[in-house]
Amino acid sequence: MTHPLLRRMARALALVPLLAFALGCATARAADTVNAYSIWPENWARPMFEEFEKATGIKVNFVRFSSGEALARVIAEKGNPRVDVLFGGPVETFAAGIGEGVFEPYKPPAYATLPPRFKHADGQWIAIADDPLVFMTNDKFLKENNLKAPGSWNDLLNPAYKNMLQMADARTSGTAVTRIFSILEVNGRDETKAFDYMKKLRPNVQLYTKSGGGGTLPVGLGQAGGGIFFIVDALDTKAKGYDVTISFPQEGIGTAAEGIALIKGAKNPELGKKLIDWATSPAMQNQFAKYKINFVPANPAVQVEPSLAAVLKGAKIFAIDADYAGANRKRIVDRWVAEVLNP
Amino acid sequence: MAGPTSGVLTAGGRHRDPAVAFTSLALWLLLALFVVYPLSMLFVRMLTDHGTITTAGLATILTDRHQVRAFWNSLLLATLVGALGTVLGFLFAFTAARGRLPRWLLGIVDASVLLPLVSPPFTTAIAIIFSFGPRGLITYELLGLKGVTVYGLTSTFLSEALTYFPIAYLTLRPILAAIDSNIEGMAFSLGASRWRVFRTVTLPLAIPGLANAFLLLFAASLADFATPLILAGNQFPVLPTQAYLQITGLFDLRGGAALSFALLVPALIVFLLQRYWVSRRFYVTITGKGAGQTPFDSISPAMRNGLLAVCATVALVIVYFYALLLYASLVMALGANHTFTLQHYRTIFTEGTKAIRDTLLIAAFAMPLGGLYGVLVGYLVTKKQFVGRRSMELVSMINYALPGTIVGIAYLIAFNDPPIELTGTALIIVACYIFRYGPTGIRATVALLQQIDKSLEEASQGLGAGSATTFRRVTLPLILPAFFAGLGVVFIRSMTAISATIFLVSIGWTLITVKILENMTELSLGPAAAFSVLVVAIVFVVIAAIGRVLRLFRAPGAMPMTSLLGG
Repeated sequence: MTHPLLRRMARALALVPLLAFALGCATARAADTVNAYSIWPENWARPMFEEFEKATGIKVNFVRFSSGEALARVIAEKGNPRVDVLFGGPVETFAAGIGEGVFEPYKPPAYATLPPRFKHADGQWIAIADDPLVFMTNDKFLKENNLKAPGSWNDLLNPAYKNMLQMADARTSGTAVTRIFSILEVNGRDETKAFDYMKKLRPNVQLYTKSGGGGTLPVGLGQAGGGIFFIVDALDTKAKGYDVTISFPQEGIGTAAEGIALIKGAKNPELGKKLIDWATSPAMQNQFAKYKINFVPANPAVQVEPSLAAVLKGAKIFAIDADYAGANRKRIVDRWVAEVLNP
Repeated sequence: MAGPTSGVLTAGGRHRDPAVAFTSLALWLLLALFVVYPLSMLFVRMLTDHGTITTAGLATILTDRHQVRAFWNSLLLATLVGALGTVLGFLFAFTAARGRLPRWLLGIVDASVLLPLVSPPFTTAIAIIFSFGPRGLITYELLGLKGVTVYGLTSTFLSEALTYFPIAYLTLRPILAAIDSNIEGMAFSLGASRWRVFRTVTLPLAIPGLANAFLLLFAASLADFATPLILAGNQFPVLPTQAYLQITGLFDLRGGAALSFALLVPALIVFLLQRYWVSRRFYVTITGKGAGQTPFDSISPAMRNGLLAVCATVALVIVYFYALLLYASLVMALGANHTFTLQHYRTIFTEGTKAIRDTLLIAAFAMPLGGLYGVLVGYLVTKKQFVGRRSMELVSMINYALPGTIVGIAYLIAFNDPPIELTGTALIIVACYIFRYGPTGIRATVALLQQIDKSLEEASQGLGAGSATTFRRVTLPLILPAFFAGLGVVFIRSMTAISATIFLVSIGWTLITVKILENMTELSLGPAAAFSVLVVAIVFVVIAAIGRVLRLFRAPGAMPMTSLLGG
């Protein structure tokens, strides 16, 4: 015999596929739409994509992930890509993706005008912005300890900073890798000297954060005294109203490009290419200032916004040599983990 | 009382019942699709590299000194969280059950204890940094301490204990309440001191409950990745965080999967202990025979005050943390600009509407299906005989016992490519919730059905009712609470879970919790706090509504809805 309730429940269970179908249909999308994973935070990506739609009539469907999450998904989805474009994020991330064969080489019209460090030789990725590192310190912390904003890498070794610095973890963050290569560069690529410095800095580091900007809020709040961040994150902290000072080391500091790439096997490759054309051209990069996005434009035809230029004035900024960094990255990060992070 | 109850209802070759056959077949298909298949795909992915079978690299990562340390750290953390959480939970449960608290006070305690359970991830962790960090409101502003280190084992352990002890409370409270105080009263009147009564009567009766609570907390801590991500710092790596970083930081899916599988071993051991050892040691508390309650004060007034003070302190800490969260959602920028504003709420109700709508829609779909799934599986495995009954029970628990990260990755890998393409749909998230959190409903159903003494059903049939009537009048009212409990848990988790679903959100469907994490990493603390407050508010309203419905069906002695949240 059958219990009526059980029968009813069984019938309800049969509804599951129907529901599945309904939910599946709900995600169907319009024709002139390009899909993207954005590594740029939503408050920067959204206005850019809205401008793109205004300019071309093509809508961008996007979802935001941190660089690691975005690339992990692109790799997992390799057999059946869900998006057409990977937008924003340090070139580092794109370099890692090339090894996984997830990108389709494409050279937009702006390709020829960009300096070599802003493009991959085969067009696997191309830069849309540049992002120098800075020192950012909490004003109250500086005042309490009678310190001036650090103007040299050695200033950060001051015992006053003991356990008060936050910076990114090289295992997860491009910011950290750029920082470590900056330290190598200012030490003339002498690894012993560079690692000596990092080991001496270690006691002053309170936390190595997962993401590059992870330490900005703690510094803003004074939970940490200072740290090394990308300028966009640092200026954003300032704009939020936190009292922080941005400074540059006299020995110089590195910068990293932000990229864009077409996904191999994209469902809408033509629309994806249009987005890349637009993002690498002045059409997009001229909008940075309007939306207070403090990236340095990659396209040489675009002027740096005056207040950003004022911050950068006099700063000694150098590009990280992509070939050198690419060839040594894994070894250096491994060494950093073994000797600095977990001595 | 565990295991098959070959009582009246199952006698007589009912396995030929077509409804049972159909339902069990349908459930097996679903379990194969949403539990076995994704995990197998993950396993295959872990052992193959560009099409060839290899274990190269896996051994390296599994024997790596730091990963081995992370593994032991995870076990240490889980043990500490289990111990402190159980003690706290017991104190609360004992006070609630024996302290003769007035109703309103009990209400306050219940509500404050529920807060951590129904909150989005990170909330306690963030509040701890704010309060106890190097410039924390308490450590620095109040006590003037300098150079405090907040990252590490201590803070992670305290944060998790505070987040998860309500599980112990909710597990232990009904058990303590069910211990017949007549027995205690008898011991007391025979001349035993209160302490002796507690030690020789109450405590031994509660021991299975304590063991159960410990194991539940142990498992919860083992799977938690959000708290260590924020609080553990660099000196105290734990495995779930390492697995997540391996995948998202080093783009090493195989290594991440291998680390997750390493977590599987302790998770499964704990689960099996809990399921097959502890749960057999409970005593039948619902019998056909009623027992009058004789008032007995099992604790002295001084003791009662002491207990109350401890509970009040813990409850105050929790309330303080959430007050801080509410405050953060109402000021421009916590720590910098404390001007009152509703701007963050405007932000979440404009830019965040899609996430809110998607989350509610997904929760609304997952909720009834999850409740139904729980009751069906629970009823079938307890009361029906069919092939593969025991394995069904075990398989249905797998996604629940595994850390969320591994389930999320497994779903992403399995459902991205044909034959079954689900990534990008809401269904993949709904399915994840049903099969990951529905098992609470299964356990609730099993527990309730096991608590029904055969004498109840026999009495009904002896009085002339057919088995259908018995089912409808006796069994059904007893499993309906489990249905609502299962459904409630699925709803709460749908609103608050992140570890699995961070891999399943897509262009089409996003979730509030993912937005919270995103806001957190983008230093938009205000919107993150506002989203969290919204989640807590919605969950409280829904729980209250479910509680109302539940009271309509409440059979005497049936577990209250909240007690099932624990499992």
